[in-house]
Amino acid sequence: MTVITGDATATPVASVAPPAPSAPGGLRRESAWRRRDRRWGYVFIGPQVIGMALFVLLPFVASLVLAFASWDGLTELTWVGFENFTAQMQDELLLRSIGNTLLIALITVPIGLGLAVVIAVALEKLKTRTLYLILFFAPVVTSTVAVAMIWQQMFRVDGVLSETIAKVFGIAPPDWLGDPSLALLAVCIVSIWSSLGLNVIIFLAGLQNISPSVIEAARIDGAGAWRLFRSIRMPLLSPIIFFSSIVAFISSLQTFDTVFVLTADAGPDNATRTIVYHIYDLGFGRFEFGPASAASVILLVLTLVITAIQFGAQKKFVHYEDDAA
Amino acid sequence: MPRANSKMRRLLAVGAASAVMIGLAACSGGGGASDEHTVVWSTWGTPEELTRFEEFNDEFMKRHPDITVELQPVASYSDYHSKLLAQLTSNTAPDVFYIGDDKIGQFVDAKVLAPLTKLMESDASQTHPDDFFPGLFGAAEQDGEIFAAPNDSNPDVLWYDKQALAAAGITEDPAALAEDGEWTTDKYLEMNDKLAAAGLTGSMFWNYWATHYSWISSQGGTAYDDSGAFVGNDDATTVDAVDTLGRYFQDGTFVVADSMPEGAGADSVFVTHKAGFFSQGRYTIGTVESAGEQDSYDIVRWPTPDGQAAPTGVATSYLAINGKTKAKDAAFTFWTEFLSAEGQVFRLQGGGNAVPSIKGADEVVLEDGYPAHAQTFLDMRDIGFEDYAAEAVVPGLSTDVSDLFLKLYEGKADAQGTLDAVAGLVADKTGE
Amino acid sequence: MTAADIETTLVGRPDLERPSSPRAGVARRRAGSTALHVGLVVAGIAMVFPFAWMLITSFKTLPQLLQDPRSFWPAPWTIDNYVEAWNAVPFGQAYLNSIYICVLAVAGTLLTASMAGYAFARIRFRGSRVIFIVFLATQMIPKQVTLIPFYLLMAQFGWVDSHLSLIVPAMLVNPFAVFLMRQFVLSLPKELEEAALVDGAGRWRTFWSIILPNLKPGLGALSIIVALDVWNSFLFPLVLLNSPDLFTVPLLLSSFRGQFGSINYGLVMAASALATIPMLIAFVIGQRRILNSMAASGLGGR
Repeated sequence: MTVITGDATATPVASVAPPAPSAPGGLRRESAWRRRDRRWGYVFIGPQVIGMALFVLLPFVASLVLAFASWDGLTELTWVGFENFTAQMQDELLLRSIGNTLLIALITVPIGLGLAVVIAVALEKLKTRTLYLILFFAPVVTSTVAVAMIWQQMFRVDGVLSETIAKVFGIAPPDWLGDPSLALLAVCIVSIWSSLGLNVIIFLAGLQNISPSVIEAARIDGAGAWRLFRSIRMPLLSPIIFFSSIVAFISSLQTFDTVFVLTADAGPDNATRTIVYHIYDLGFGRFEFGPASAASVILLVLTLVITAIQFGAQKKFVHYEDDAA
Repeated sequence: MPRANSKMRRLLAVGAASAVMIGLAACSGGGGASDEHTVVWSTWGTPEELTRFEEFNDEFMKRHPDITVELQPVASYSDYHSKLLAQLTSNTAPDVFYIGDDKIGQFVDAKVLAPLTKLMESDASQTHPDDFFPGLFGAAEQDGEIFAAPNDSNPDVLWYDKQALAAAGITEDPAALAEDGEWTTDKYLEMNDKLAAAGLTGSMFWNYWATHYSWISSQGGTAYDDSGAFVGNDDATTVDAVDTLGRYFQDGTFVVADSMPEGAGADSVFVTHKAGFFSQGRYTIGTVESAGEQDSYDIVRWPTPDGQAAPTGVATSYLAINGKTKAKDAAFTFWTEFLSAEGQVFRLQGGGNAVPSIKGADEVVLEDGYPAHAQTFLDMRDIGFEDYAAEAVVPGLSTDVSDLFLKLYEGKADAQGTLDAVAGLVADKTGE
Repeated sequence: MTAADIETTLVGRPDLERPSSPRAGVARRRAGSTALHVGLVVAGIAMVFPFAWMLITSFKTLPQLLQDPRSFWPAPWTIDNYVEAWNAVPFGQAYLNSIYICVLAVAGTLLTASMAGYAFARIRFRGSRVIFIVFLATQMIPKQVTLIPFYLLMAQFGWVDSHLSLIVPAMLVNPFAVFLMRQFVLSLPKELEEAALVDGAGRWRTFWSIILPNLKPGLGALSIIVALDVWNSFLFPLVLLNSPDLFTVPLLLSSFRGQFGSINYGLVMAASALATIPMLIAFVIGQRRILNSMAASGLGGR
C-alpha cells in the first residue's frame, strides 16, 4: 500500500485556496491544491493502512503460503504442496469440525435472531423497558470466558438445570457436557444466550426508526397486530436483520472461546470441535503449523461461501425502502 | 501553502514520537534471562506447588547469593507446552524448564535442549546419571546422551475408595490381598463387576500410554520388543488382555476420565464415592484431602494373573536446560540442586504430590503415613517404566496410539483390529 | 443515521410509544400483551438466572457442594472462596492490565479510524475507492486465519509476552471503525468544512477543529464498542501472553479454571464473580450510553 508520498517543498500557490473540491475553478489552481489534498488523504488513511498491511494482509498472505508447507516451529520448514489440503479434507477431525461448526451456526443464528425479533417487538410496546434492556444486555458485556465458566457449572448433571428438566419431563437428568449428542446443543444454548441482547438492541432501534405514520396508516386500514408485524415491521426491519445475520453467521463460524472453556478437549468424542478449535489444536497443540494454516484457509472459503449465499438470498427476502411497496 | 506542509511534517513528527513513546512505555513481559547470573525457569503447577517452588527459589538464592532465580509459572499443563514452544521459536524461552513426558521426545528431537551427560558426571554435579532410577529416562535419553532428567515421578497406582467398595458389598481389601500375593486380575474384575451392579463406576482411567501399556504389561503381554518394533498384535496374551480391557470400557464399568465433563470430572466422581478405582499418581492426595475424607482411600498396584507384582507405567516430567541459555553455569547449578535428593525432599515433603526420581529421598513418601500403603508408590516406581522410547520420540505418536485405543473403548474397533492399527501406525511413523 | 441520532435513539423515547387505540380489538390486544409480558418476564429470568446462580454458588462451602449439590441456598454462607480466589491469582494486576490496554487501544483507534473515515468520506485521492473496498473485504477474513503468522510476526518484533502485541495492532487495525466513522462524517453537512476550507484552514486543522468535535457522539459510541471488544478478547491474548502478571481479566479467569476447576466449583464461581461483577456494575452505570452505542453499530451497517 502506498504510504505518504510527501513532497516537502510546496509549490507556491495563490493565497486563496479554492472553496471546495467539487467547485469548478481554474484548472491549474485546482490541480496544485488537489495534489496537496491528495497527499493529506494518504496521510489520514496512513495509520490504518499501515496497520492493515502489516498486521492483517501480511499474515494473511503468509498463512496462504504456510498452508503449503510443513513446519513445527522448531525444526526446518519443508514444502509439501497441496498435501496439507488433501490430508485435511480426508481428516476425520477436520470434517467433524466443519460439520459441528455449520451445525452450531445453523442452530444458533436463526433461533437467536428469531427470538431477538420477537423480544424486540414485545419491548417496543413497553414504556418501562430499561430494566429489561439491562437484563438482556448483561450477558453481552460479560466476557465469553466468564459466561462459559458459569454455564459449565450450570450444565452439571447434578445441577439445578438438569434436575429441573428431569423433574419436569420425567427423564434422567441430562448430562449436557458428557453426552456427545447434547454437548453441541449446550454450546448453542450458551451462544444464543450471550448474544441475544445485542440483537434485541439493534432490532429495537430499527423498529423505532419505522415512522409512526406508516403504522398509523396501516392501523386505520384495519390491520391487526399480526398483520402489522408481518407486512409492515418485518419487511422494514429486513435490511437490519440481513446485516445482523451476516455478522452473526461470520461470528458463529468462528466459535472458539465458548468451546475452549466449556468443554475440555473439544467435548466428548469431539462433539464440540469447531474449525477454529481445530486450527488452534493443530497449531498450538500439536505444533503442525502447515495443516493448521490449511485448515484456516478452508475456514475462509467456508465464510465466503456462506456470506455469498446470504447475499444471494438477499434479493428474495430483504426489502429496501426504495423498492415499490 | 508552506503552512500546510509544515503541518504535515509536524504531524509526522508527532506520530513518530508517540510511536517511540509507546514502544518505551509498554515494554513489559517475561522472556529468557539476558545475563549469565540470572536463571529464569518455568513449570506448571497448582498454587500450592508454585508456593513450594518459590520457597525453593528463596533457599537457593540464599545458598548462592550471586545467582538470581526467577520462576515463570504457567497455570495449566495443557497450555504449558504451546507457550514453551512459542518462547523457543521467538528466542524468549527460559533457561531451565519442565517438559512433560508426552512432549519430551519432540523437544529432544528438535535439538533445543542442552546435552547434560558430561555435566552430570562432573564434580559440580549432585545428580549423577546413576543416581536416578533407570526406567524413568525414557525418551530423554537419545543415543547415549542425556538431555533432561526426571524431576520426580508418579507411578500410576490404583487408588480405591473403601466406602464405594463397601457400598458394592465388597469385603476384601485390595491392598491386603496384594500383600498376601493374592491380588489377581480375576479378583479385580470381580470387584468391578460388583461395583457396576451397585450402580457405581468400576474404574476410571486417563487415556494415555500408561493405561494401555500398564495393562498389557501387568497381564503378561508385550507391546514393544527390544528393537523398538510394536509386536503386541502378534502376541496372543496381549490380544487377550486388550480384549478384556476393551470389553470393560465398552459396557461402562471402566470409564475414560478424559471424556468426563470438565468441572464435574473424575475427581468429583471419586470424592463423592461414585467410583471404586481411579488410576492416578500421588497427587491424588491433594484431591482427597481437600474433600476431607482421606481415610476412605488407599492404594494398590495393578492386578496380575498370578497375584505377583509386575512393572507398570510411571509418569514423569523432566527438567531440561535451554540449549541457547546464556547462563550455562548458573543454570546447571540450579538444575542439579533442584534434582538432587535434598532438592526433591525439600519439594516433596509435607504432603507433596509426587514420588522422588532419585535415590536417597524416599522418606518423603513414607513420612506422613498416608495413604496407608504408601510403600506401594516406591515399589511400583522401582520396577516401573516410562513410555517406550520408540514411541515417545515421534511427536504426536503417543497421542495417536491413545486415540486408537479410544476407538476400542468406544466399541468402534475390536482388540485385534486396534493392535493391528497401532502396529501399522508405529511402523509407519518410526520407519522414517 | 447521524451522529446526533445516537444521543436519543433508544432508551427514553416515549414520543415513539404507540398511542393506544381506544376501541376495536382492545380485549384481544390486552390478552396478547399479557402473553407478551409473561414471555418477557420468562426471558428476563432466563437472562439473569445464571448470574444469580453464580453468586449464590460462590458463597457455598465445599462440603455442601459435594454432599448436597441440589440444595439451592448456601448453608452456611462463606466468603472464603472470594478470599482464596483473590489471593491465588493476581486479579488486581489483571484489571490494571485490561484497563490500560483498553484505554490505549480505544484512544488509538478513535484517532486513526476517524482520520481514515474522514479521508474516505471527504477527500478525493487516487485509489480511495479501491482501498476502501479492500478495507471492507478484510473484515471477512476470520482473524484466526492470520493467527499463526501474526504470532510469528510478533515473535520477530520481540512482542511475544508483551502488551505491545495487543495494543499496537488494536490501535491501527479496525476496518469496522473506519467504516463507521466514514458513515458519520458523511452525515455531517458539507458546509461545515467548506466554510473552514474557504477561510484557508488546511485539512488537518479542519479535521481537528471542525470535524472531530461534531463526531463526539459517534466517537463515544465507537469507544464503547472498541473497549468491549478489546476487554473480552481471548484467543489472541491466550496465544501471545505467557506471564501471569501480564494477563488480562478473561485470560486470568481461564487460567484459574485450569488450576482449580476439578472439585471446588464454588471457588471457580467466586473467581468468575470477581471477573464479571465490576464490569456489570460499570455497565449498569453507563447503560444508556452503552445501549445506544451498540444500537448505532448495528444500524450503521445499513
